[in-house]
Amino acid sequence: MEESPLHPFELHNYIPINLGGLDISINKAVIMMWVVVGLISILMITAASARRLVPGKLQSLAEMMVDFIRGIILDTMGKNGMKFFPLIATLFLFILFCNLIGLIPGSYTVTSQIVVTAVFACTVYALSLVMGFVLHGGKFLGILVPPGTPGWLLPLMIPIELISQLARPISLAVRLFANMTAGHVILGVLFGLAVSGGLLIGWLPFAFTIAMNGLEVGIAFIQAYIFTVLTCVYLGDAFHLHGHDEHAH
Amino acid sequence: MPQPQDPFYAGLGQAVRIGTELLAALIVGGGLGWAIDTYLLGTGPWILVLGLVLGAAAGVRNAYRMAQRWPK
Repeated sequence: MEESPLHPFELHNYIPINLGGLDISINKAVIMMWVVVGLISILMITAASARRLVPGKLQSLAEMMVDFIRGIILDTMGKNGMKFFPLIATLFLFILFCNLIGLIPGSYTVTSQIVVTAVFACTVYALSLVMGFVLHGGKFLGILVPPGTPGWLLPLMIPIELISQLARPISLAVRLFANMTAGHVILGVLFGLAVSGGLLIGWLPFAFTIAMNGLEVGIAFIQAYIFTVLTCVYLGDAFHLHGHDEHAH
Repeated sequence: MPQPQDPFYAGLGQAVRIGTELLAALIVGGGLGWAIDTYLLGTGPWILVLGLVLGAAAGVRNAYRMAQRWPK
């Protein structure tokens, strides 16, 4: 039982594939991603195929999720944010299902790989940059100057704003990755204690494992929600430059 | 199914967000300073120090901006 708590995060190639120096082997994470995509597709397609006015269980679950995502977008971006509904709904559902399915013992949490979360974060951030420059042209650089900055502060404010802009994709990626990894490390350590403790004292860490698993379900929802909200906020910033007062309270 | 509006989970989410916000800006500031020091100018640790200070400022600014968006 002398197993490292980081052991579950190691990936072993099942089917090694090498495409011109590029390693695209099939491993557990890839299979889990397929499973997640398949599950979401089956759920949504079966839910949408009924199309009853009085929705059944599955249909009302799907409607609840769609309505939830729609609420996030309308709150943070306003009406013209609905153009991004497909992207944001995909992100939310994929991250949510990855987080939740990873909690089943024996499966794998794809979002505990920083590569996966970094790709999501960089895509979202690059999209917001491209959109900002397309919509506002060179004026988009004004995002580096907060409104009402006196001229003599500019040499200080521009580097600070530049760093705070560049920190966005990193905080987005690190937050999801760190939360998922940390939760599973804690579960692993507690379970290791339960196994090595034996019946006499092992029930105590085992009880904590169960409690932590419950908390992790909450964390899975929260992290998917935070990632989606921040995606909307970053995209919305590119929409209305310095437009914070529009949706300020 | 826990709702994100649940005060316990909402507070947890906001606490976690502020922590990462501070950390990420510090990483970016320090990283940029270190890169400029090592690859561009070769000036001792000075730009790294400056970058860390600016990164800390940017982190606080990000956290502040985030807190402004909280529903009251």
